[in-house]
Amino acid sequence: MKNKKKIEDIPFEEYLRKLEKIVQQLEEGELTLDESVKTYEEGINISKICLEKLNKTKKKIEQLVIEGEEKYSIKPFSEKEGEDTINEF
Amino acid sequence: MMINDKEEKIYTVSKLNKYIKKLFENDFNLQDIWTLGEISNFKLHSSGHMYFVLKDKESQIKCVMFRGNNCTLRFMPGDGMKVKVRGDVSVYEKRGEYQLYAKEIIEAGKGELYLAFEKLKEKLKGEGLFSEEIKKKLPLIPQNIAVITSPTGAAIRDVLTISLRRFPNLSILVVPSLVQGAFAAQEIAKKIDFLNRFFKYLDFIIIGRGGGSLEELWAFNEEILARSIYRSKIPIVSAVGHETDFTISDFVADLRSPTPSAAAEMTIPDKNSLINNLSLLRSKITRAFKRSFELNGEKFSSISRNLRYQRPENKINQYYQYIDEFSARLSSRIKHRIELYGERIKKDCQRLDSLNPWAIIERGYSICRKIPGREIIKRLNQINVGTKIEVIISDGRIFSKVEKKEVVSD
Repeated sequence: MKNKKKIEDIPFEEYLRKLEKIVQQLEEGELTLDESVKTYEEGINISKICLEKLNKTKKKIEQLVIEGEEKYSIKPFSEKEGEDTINEF
Repeated sequence: MMINDKEEKIYTVSKLNKYIKKLFENDFNLQDIWTLGEISNFKLHSSGHMYFVLKDKESQIKCVMFRGNNCTLRFMPGDGMKVKVRGDVSVYEKRGEYQLYAKEIIEAGKGELYLAFEKLKEKLKGEGLFSEEIKKKLPLIPQNIAVITSPTGAAIRDVLTISLRRFPNLSILVVPSLVQGAFAAQEIAKKIDFLNRFFKYLDFIIIGRGGGSLEELWAFNEEILARSIYRSKIPIVSAVGHETDFTISDFVADLRSPTPSAAAEMTIPDKNSLINNLSLLRSKITRAFKRSFELNGEKFSSISRNLRYQRPENKINQYYQYIDEFSARLSSRIKHRIELYGERIKKDCQRLDSLNPWAIIERGYSICRKIPGREIIKRLNQINVGTKIEVIISDGRIFSKVEKKEVVSD
């Protein structure tokens, strides 16, 4: 936790790679009991993190309305309204 | 043919041809014209000039394209090619043959837009805008994406439907834009820049529109848009509907797809299959872990034998703790095996106990040692009468002196 990267900053695919490596390590059976317990715990933990990552985002469909060089607003997307709000600079 | 003797005028051959040539050259209908036909008998002479015949079903005309003109060709002409040739019709006096002097050749069916496209493509390629090394990677699990396209076309509908079907909890920002006409390229470019300023967190941006004619898709072939895609720190996915050709945007983008729907398919992962994959990995881990537990159990008993004088109980307690923690997760079969190993270790400990010298002394045996040196006395020749000795018994030591030695004979 101290000097490690935050979970949010590590991409899903990196965790997936770790998980695959853990499967490989455990399947090779070269680990001591202590190590395999630790590795197993880590694997379960990572698979939880992966699942959390998949469920983290909330569904949202929004539309950007540009109101000037630096100004904008965001509103829910609606296909009908879209036509009038094509904004030109 | 009527011959009038009085007014008879005799030409030389060269004068005649010169006259005919003038006729051709004074006729505007034969100067700087486009002719459509198929190339045959094409020859590139070592001088660099090109000679060929342009023909259609019924007729043919000789053509020449001099080196000074053909060096700007963007392709190498060849027999059978349908082309449009721009040039003048004139006479080659030496042979008395008229021919088409070509200044420009383009492949038929490809007009000026095509030429402009080819030119820009070469230019940007030369500047390195298409190079593979600068292409940014898209994350496997996108969370926030933006789509720059017409808010009313089929394109946006397709992208939304497919994306949300594949990954239901996705955050999509729709950025409405013109996608055809004279201002479209500039507008898309500005919106890419805008997103780069205020929406840096986006995982990527899809830009695109549904299929159309080359003219309708033209915005995606313009330099201003190409430059903006190149500038973008956020990865860009080009999704312009077209079947065969590419657009300039396709070449500059970090990822290109043939349609907006395809862009969604390519960039948005299927959540269900990801979850299936995860649970597969998880069950693999559990299976492999159980197996390694069994393997380790075997090692375990041999290790415990070597632990005799190192208080094996500590280690055992540690393992018991692990076993307690994980036994819940393990099948009863494995649990049973581990308990068996635990039993074995207990027995090993009891055996250890029986080897402990203190246990023997407890039963009435004692140990004699010489006082200086603490050498354990096993033979009479180690001592003399008068040697000081200590006798170790279960609750203390007796200090004494040897008074007599006697050999015990059987």
